[in-house]
Amino acid sequence: MSTQVRPRAATARPRTALAAVATAPDYRRNFARRARLSDLLVVALWASGAAAAALFLASGGVDQFTSVAETVTSIGIVSGLVGTDFILVMLVLAARIPLIDRTIGHDRAIAVHRSLGKPALYLLLAHGALLLTGYGLSSGINPIAEIGPMLSLPDMPLAFIALGLMIAVVVSSLIAVRRRFSYEGWHLVHLLSYVSVAFALPHQLSVGGVLADGTLQRVYWIALYVVALGSIVTFRFAEPLVSSLRHRMRVAAVTEIAPGVSTIQLAGNDLRGLEASGGQFFIWRFWTPRTWWHSHPISLSAIPTASSARITVRNLGTGSAQLTTIPVGTRVSIEGPYGLFSDAARTSPKLAIIAAGIGVTPVRALLEQASFAPGEAIILLRASTPEETYHWDEIQAIAAAKGATCYTMIGHRPRGVDSWMTAADYERGVTLQSAFPDLADSDVFLCGPTMWLDLIEADVHVSGIRPEQIHAERFDW
Amino acid sequence: MRTRAILGSILASTSVLIVGYQAGVSVTTSDGTSVSLPVDAATNGTAGNTNAGNGSSTPGTGTAAAAPAASGPADGTFTGSSVSTRFGNVQVAVTIASGSITDVTALQLTDDDGRSVQISNRAAPILRTEVLSSQSAQVSNVSGATYTTDAYLSSLQSALDQAGA
Amino acid sequence: MRTAFPTMGTMASVELPAAWASEVNEVQRIFRTIDDRYSLYSPDSELSLIAAGTTSLSHASPPLLASYARALEWRSATGGNFSPHRPDGTIDLNGIVKAEAIEQAGEHLTAVGCPEWSINVGGDILVSPTGAATPATASASPLGPRVMRAGIAEPLSPTELLCSLELRHPRRAIATSGSAQRGDHIWRAGSTEPVSFVQVSVVANDIVTADVLATAIVAGGQTALDDVTDRWDVDVVAVDRAGALRATPGLLHALATKI
Repeated sequence: MSTQVRPRAATARPRTALAAVATAPDYRRNFARRARLSDLLVVALWASGAAAAALFLASGGVDQFTSVAETVTSIGIVSGLVGTDFILVMLVLAARIPLIDRTIGHDRAIAVHRSLGKPALYLLLAHGALLLTGYGLSSGINPIAEIGPMLSLPDMPLAFIALGLMIAVVVSSLIAVRRRFSYEGWHLVHLLSYVSVAFALPHQLSVGGVLADGTLQRVYWIALYVVALGSIVTFRFAEPLVSSLRHRMRVAAVTEIAPGVSTIQLAGNDLRGLEASGGQFFIWRFWTPRTWWHSHPISLSAIPTASSARITVRNLGTGSAQLTTIPVGTRVSIEGPYGLFSDAARTSPKLAIIAAGIGVTPVRALLEQASFAPGEAIILLRASTPEETYHWDEIQAIAAAKGATCYTMIGHRPRGVDSWMTAADYERGVTLQSAFPDLADSDVFLCGPTMWLDLIEADVHVSGIRPEQIHAERFDW
Repeated sequence: MRTRAILGSILASTSVLIVGYQAGVSVTTSDGTSVSLPVDAATNGTAGNTNAGNGSSTPGTGTAAAAPAASGPADGTFTGSSVSTRFGNVQVAVTIASGSITDVTALQLTDDDGRSVQISNRAAPILRTEVLSSQSAQVSNVSGATYTTDAYLSSLQSALDQAGA
Repeated sequence: MRTAFPTMGTMASVELPAAWASEVNEVQRIFRTIDDRYSLYSPDSELSLIAAGTTSLSHASPPLLASYARALEWRSATGGNFSPHRPDGTIDLNGIVKAEAIEQAGEHLTAVGCPEWSINVGGDILVSPTGAATPATASASPLGPRVMRAGIAEPLSPTELLCSLELRHPRRAIATSGSAQRGDHIWRAGSTEPVSFVQVSVVANDIVTADVLATAIVAGGQTALDDVTDRWDVDVVAVDRAGALRATPGLLHALATKI
C-alpha cells in the first residue's frame, strides 16, 4: 500500500501540467489581508501601551517630574498603567476572539499572551516598589514602613492582594514551575488572574488621580476593562455555551482503529453550522462524572456532516485514556472551532502536506476540505511502525479522488543522524526537494510530534520558502 | 510586513503619546479656566464689511480697505456665548478700549445641576496664578491639614519653628 | 519668641513677644488640662471613661458637657457634616476641643494684656486681635507684620505654600482640614466615596467656627461648601482632587502681598 518517494537522482516525475483552476481563491490577496490585519493588531498592542502612558501625560503628568520623589512616583504610576494595559491585552489575546484566531491563529495569540506575562508582572512589581519608594521619600520614611499607611487607604488592601495573585499566576506559568503542576492545578491558579484584575480596579479608580471622576481618562480606562472582560465573558463562556446548547453533541460511537487509538463519532444538530474547516480543533468536554472537569483540545479528523463529527484520540496520559472508554450517549460541550491550520491560512496554489503519527488526524480533515487542482497536492505520511498508520487508508482514498500524490514512509529514523525520514529513505538520498519539487509554490502543512516536527520544520526553513507558507502544528498526544 | 508593523507601532505610539502630552499641557496651562472667547458675530461687527467704530477706515477706499485693514476689534463691551468648562457654564463680558481688553466680567456661572450661581460670597473657581504671588510672602505660621507629631517634623511649620520665625 | 511643644497628638507653636515669654507655661498648662480630659488615647481621661461606658454622660464634668453641647449644636447647624461621634457611635470631641483649647489660650493671653501673639496647633491658627492695638503700637510691635500672615500648605506638596493671607481683626482664625493625602493619591478613612475636596481652609472670626466648618466642608463636599459660604461669614479656599481651586472673593482680597 505504500508509495515510495523518489530519491533526488531519479528523473522527474511525469506530471500533467494542469492550468491553474480559475475558481481557486486568490491566496495572495487573502494572505495580504491577513497580514495587514495582523500588523494592525501589533500596532494596536503597542498603541494601547502608549495610550496608557499618555493617560498620565494627559492629566498633566509632565509637571510631575520636579523632584526625585515625584519622579519616582510618576514612573511608578506610568508602569502601573502600562502593566495593567498589558494584562488587559493578555486577557483579550486569551479570549479566543474569532477575529484574532482567524488572523494570527490561536497558537500565535497564546504565544504573544505568554510573552507579555513577565513584562506585565515586572511593570506591576515596579509600580508597587516605585510608589512605596516615592511616597516614602516624600514623607521621609523607608519604603517598607510606607506599606502600613498605604494599606490604610480604601481599596489598597485589595490592590496588594491583586498583586500577590498576579505574582502567583505568572510564576505558576513559568515553564520550569508549570511542569510541576498538573494542567488542572495550573489552570486553577491561572483563573485567579480574573480575580486579580477585578481586585486591582477599585484602587485605580479611587486612589489614582490620573483616572479621576469625570475625566476622559477614566472613561477610556473603564472601556478597556469592559472590552477585555467582555471578550472573555462573550467568547470564553457565552459563545461556547450557546454553541453547545445549539448543537447538542453526544458521543455516538467509539471505535478502536489501532491499539490505543480510537475514533469518537459525535452526533448533534446542524453541525455544518459550526463552520469548522478541516484542520481546525475544538476544545471538548465530555460530561461524565470522571471527565467533566477536564477539557481536551482535539482536532477534527473529518469534516462534520449535518449530523455527525469525528475526532481521533490516542490513549496517552490519564485524560485521553479515559476518552477511549467514554460511554456512548455522553453529552459533549464544545468551544471552537479554533486554529489556522486550515485552508484559511493558504498563501499558495499548491499543497505539500507532511504528517507523522497521530498528527495525521487534522491532516485527514484538511485534505478533505483543501482546494487544489489535480496534481497540485503532495502528501507525505510518516510512521515508525505499520501499526501507527492511522487513517492512512482514508487519506489515500481522498488523495486518489482529488488527484493528489500520496507518499508514505514507514520505519525508524537513522541512527546517529537527526532526520525526519526513515533510515531507508535517508540512505536512498530522498530529500525535501525530491519529494516536493514545487515547494516554492506550495503551502507546507506539517503536523506531528514536537521532536520530529522541529527537524522537518528546520529542513523546510532551509529550503528558502517564505515563512508564511509554513503551517506547523505540534501534536504530542 | 514585519517592518510595516514595527513602523506602524512606532508611529501610532508616538502619536498617542504626543496627543496625551498636548492634552496634559493644555490641562496644566489653562486649567479649564482660560476660556477662548467666541464673541457674538453680530456685536463684533464682522470685520471688513461694516468696520463699526473703526474711525480710521472709510467705506470705499477700494482694495486697501480689505479685511486686514480692520485691525483690532471695536471699542465697547462684548458678550461672549456661554462656554462649558469643567466647572460649569461660563459666560463672560469683555470690555475693550483702544484695542485692548480692559475688563472681563463673569456673567453666568452654573453649577453641575445647571442652576445659575449668584456671584456672591460663594467660592468660585479661581486660577492658581491668582494666588501665586502670595506664595512668596513671608509667613510665620502655616495652616495645613492636621499633621501628626511625626509628620510635623517634615513640615514647613517645623522649619519655621526651628528658625524661630 | 517662638516655643514649640507637643500636645494633643500634634505640635503647637506659640509666638509671644520676649517680654511675655513666661506666659507660655500657662498656655502649655491650658493645653495639658484639656488634653487630659478629652484624649481618647489615654484610657483614664474623662472622655475615655465615658466612651467606654464606665462613667455616664450625666455624671460628666461641666466643661465636658459644655463642649459636647457645643459640638451637638454644630452638628445640627452643619446638617450632620460635623459630628462629635465616630461612625461607630463612640463619642469623640477631637473635632472641637483643639479649637476650644486654642480659644482658651488666646483668651488668657488677651486677658493678661499680651499685645501680639499667635497660636498654631496642628495647622489651626489664631492670632491676637491687633485691631485693639493702636496703629502706632502695632508698627512698633516686637513681632512685626509677619505674625499676622498665615501660609496655607499646598496639599499636593506639603512643603510648599498654596498661598498666604493676612489675618486681621476680626478675621483672626484659620483652620485647614483635609482628607489625608499623599502625592497624587488621596484617601479618606472609612469612606470609599470619592472626596471632592482634598483640602479646605476656612478663615473666620473665631477658631472653633473655622475648624468645624473646614471639617464640615471636607465631609460634605461642594454642597456643604455652598451652604457654609451662604450662611456663615467666613472665607474659604478649597482644593479639589484635580488640584483646582475654589475661593470666596473675600479670601482673594486677604491674600498677602510680598514684603
